[in-house]
Amino acid sequence: MTVMTQAEAAAPITFDDRPTKWLIYPAIFFMIFGMTIGFFISLNGFVFPDYFAGEYITFGRVRPVHVWGVLLLWLLSADIGLLFYIVQRLSGVRLWSSNLGIIGVALWWLALIPGTFSYPLGTNSGWEYAELPIWVGWIPCRVLFFTAFFLFAFNMFMTIANRRYEKLYVSLWYTMGTLIWTTITVFEMFFTLNMLPGGISRVNASFFYVHNLVGLIFTPMGLATTYYFLPKLSNTPIYSHRLSMVGFWTIAFFYAWIGAHHIIHGPISQWLQTTSIIFSLWLFIPVFTVIHNFFMTLYPKWGLYDLSSPIRFIIMGTSFYLITCIQGPLMALRNINEITSKTDWVIGHSHISLYGTFTFFAIAGIYYVVPVMTKKPLWSNRLANWHFTLNLFGSVPFMASLWIGGFIQGMEWANWATGSSYAEFHNNLTQLPFLDTVSNAYYWWVLRSIGGGIILFANMLFVVNIYNTVMLSHKPLVKWIPSNQTTEAAL
Amino acid sequence: MSNEEHHEHFSHRIEGSAIVTVIGILILFASAVIVTLMAPRFVDPSWTQPTSYYQVQMYEVSDPNFYISTESKESRTLQYIYHLKNGFTLLAFKDQPLVRIVAPRDLEKYVTRLKDKQLKLTSRLLLLRKPVNGTFKAVDAAAKLRQQLDADFAKEHPHVAKTDYTILELYDPGRPEAFALALTDGVFENFVDRDFTLVEGAKQSWHQDPGVIYVSNPQEYRYLKYKTTLSEGWRYDPEGSAIKNLEELNHLNLGFRSRKELIALGEHIYAIEGCWYCHTDQTRTLVQDTVLNGSDSYPAPPSSPNEYIYQAVTYPGTRRIGPDMSRVGIKRPSRDWHKSHFWAPRTESKGSLMPSFRHFFDDDPRGTSANQAGIPNYKFEAIFQYLMTKGTRITPPTQAWWLGRDPVNTLQIIEGRAKVVR
Repeated sequence: MTVMTQAEAAAPITFDDRPTKWLIYPAIFFMIFGMTIGFFISLNGFVFPDYFAGEYITFGRVRPVHVWGVLLLWLLSADIGLLFYIVQRLSGVRLWSSNLGIIGVALWWLALIPGTFSYPLGTNSGWEYAELPIWVGWIPCRVLFFTAFFLFAFNMFMTIANRRYEKLYVSLWYTMGTLIWTTITVFEMFFTLNMLPGGISRVNASFFYVHNLVGLIFTPMGLATTYYFLPKLSNTPIYSHRLSMVGFWTIAFFYAWIGAHHIIHGPISQWLQTTSIIFSLWLFIPVFTVIHNFFMTLYPKWGLYDLSSPIRFIIMGTSFYLITCIQGPLMALRNINEITSKTDWVIGHSHISLYGTFTFFAIAGIYYVVPVMTKKPLWSNRLANWHFTLNLFGSVPFMASLWIGGFIQGMEWANWATGSSYAEFHNNLTQLPFLDTVSNAYYWWVLRSIGGGIILFANMLFVVNIYNTVMLSHKPLVKWIPSNQTTEAAL
Repeated sequence: MSNEEHHEHFSHRIEGSAIVTVIGILILFASAVIVTLMAPRFVDPSWTQPTSYYQVQMYEVSDPNFYISTESKESRTLQYIYHLKNGFTLLAFKDQPLVRIVAPRDLEKYVTRLKDKQLKLTSRLLLLRKPVNGTFKAVDAAAKLRQQLDADFAKEHPHVAKTDYTILELYDPGRPEAFALALTDGVFENFVDRDFTLVEGAKQSWHQDPGVIYVSNPQEYRYLKYKTTLSEGWRYDPEGSAIKNLEELNHLNLGFRSRKELIALGEHIYAIEGCWYCHTDQTRTLVQDTVLNGSDSYPAPPSSPNEYIYQAVTYPGTRRIGPDMSRVGIKRPSRDWHKSHFWAPRTESKGSLMPSFRHFFDDDPRGTSANQAGIPNYKFEAIFQYLMTKGTRITPPTQAWWLGRDPVNTLQIIEGRAKVVR
């Protein structure tokens, strides 16, 4: 940290928001793209199975396009864009290197766009969330992706190292944490996996990566941004910095241990399963600190919930986070896992965390940063209200149908066979074949598609709103000025 | 860092130092990496040790030396070929009730006669053929043997018309390698683990295993190239020419791939088709899984870590939209079933959501095309061979691995003798 002269401290800081813009604007488009693919496969895979048939359009080939579209092209890109925004503001200095930021963004899209679009052509690597191929044509996707992330991390770390404010706000810990964790985890999965012996060693490493992606990448990024945007949006100081510190260090300790809970009852050592279950349960601690902190931050100004749709997104995201984080540790318990594991419950769980929580957080962040960066008010608050309302009303049938349908299927699997002898048991099993438990889920899948369609429509409103905010010079329908006038130090 | 005295509490010191934060993050993360990522395979030998010598021999000895052709318009059946190597491949020459072997005096010791108690195996490269008169007058010996057999048969069964015996000559081709026609389904191999002897001792370490995979009564694979006005190609023909070496097999463009290549390719297809998004590959330690994957009379054993050690990518899976795959080689061993299922899943399985995989076929197997046989291409062969490794290679087939191994106590739980232990 450099010691600054009086003159330097008084000089206005110009922040470099180009990396933020160039990450966020495409990301918003790719959110619609990824969700459209998701909506399509929910129809073509489940409601009207194989209606559009052919080699390049089967569920297995298109599913990774949906996952990478919403997870990487949208959510991770948007989150990193928001990190670029808050790191500069919380450090009180301009980005360490603008050029490096721009090169990083260019490499990022060059790796991710061809990678994501190539899956239907057969480039899937076969590891969950690490499907990215080594090469797409002449493009070395994995190396570019890692390099881009490394450049982001290096740039942000240098910005933090040169910061003007000595005290590190909680968002900066989470940012530093996620930059380190992501770099190591991605490197482990993309480049060192094949050094491990074949079989369960690689599976274990893969699930380590899979859960770190959620727990040590999306969670800290979402929390870092929200710890910044909630106080800014509501113009209230954070409820407890000490509590956020407890939350951060417990996440740092617990999260990396729980990868094996994806394969409970599976072919992996029992002691490792038990370890992952214990650490999963301890996750209640960081989760409740975060939730308590967010709710109590807004508590003095609860009325803002009615007035600001970004705040509604954050608070509803926090509520979904509470549900996620009650589900998660409980799903790791052996007896609950027996029912929920391998069913749609798991799909519902991943959607409530990555959609219901972290996408809501990122949307709230974008609603905040776009008017600040463009120095124009949001084009339409009414549209933002509709965006939130439709999102909420779409999410509930969307996720609830997955949970209920999945839970019913899990119960069928656990109870389909009864009998006092093996032969009788096996016979009962053939009375309710596996495929019947699949057919029974049909109406839940229809409900899922309806919910997904509403969500897709709602987010189209979001795109229109952001597009018009950026592109039009207009008179706002409802005057809403983001509270970006307060100094960062006041946090 | 000068105003440190304002913040006595250690947490405030951390708030002020990015370095301490980074070090703390790294230490906590490293502890998890060491314990959950690095340690387990040293703590649990089953993560790296094979399940059995049978598993090792199937993957390391048998698969690389077993070749499968794809179907083509001209040759409507698959061709299975063994690549035999002198001093490596174990061979058995065994009299069958209707197949008898004549051998010169010096090769007689390699032949297992009907009365022999022990199966004789050798790693010397010998082959069987229709008798030919050379230094050893095989045709004469065969004629003599046939007379003898006919006389014996007439004595035993006076009122039955005489049987047609096949008589083959054992000979030394004098080559380090050869290709033999394989009379198998391409999935299971001949295996013996009792009452056998190695005539000339063990030349390879795997020859010393308690049980060995061997090739039974090999006859040289011969093919004939042909050309008509309509088409040209090749087909199996006992009168055709032999394949000299591996180079020739690959060079001739006969469409052969080793089973090892096919399994690796199948694993790759399993990845790129995204099969693993809907199918798990693990029999969990739960009653519903062991019964689901079990036979009519006995539950399947749960998956163990060492079943997967020969895979480059393993697909334990997180979602079951279709049934589990970990015992599919036992549950669905039929090539025809898989053929029709990949073509039209809902014909075989009512209510299935699986898309059809018509790019696994070069022609329509429903019979609407000129060729009624149906022509799956190498992609089907690869995915089929890959699926057939699941559950079939854990313990030797002679030990019926699915019997007597019930670590989940499925039977006791079902019969109410034991409580469900979770």
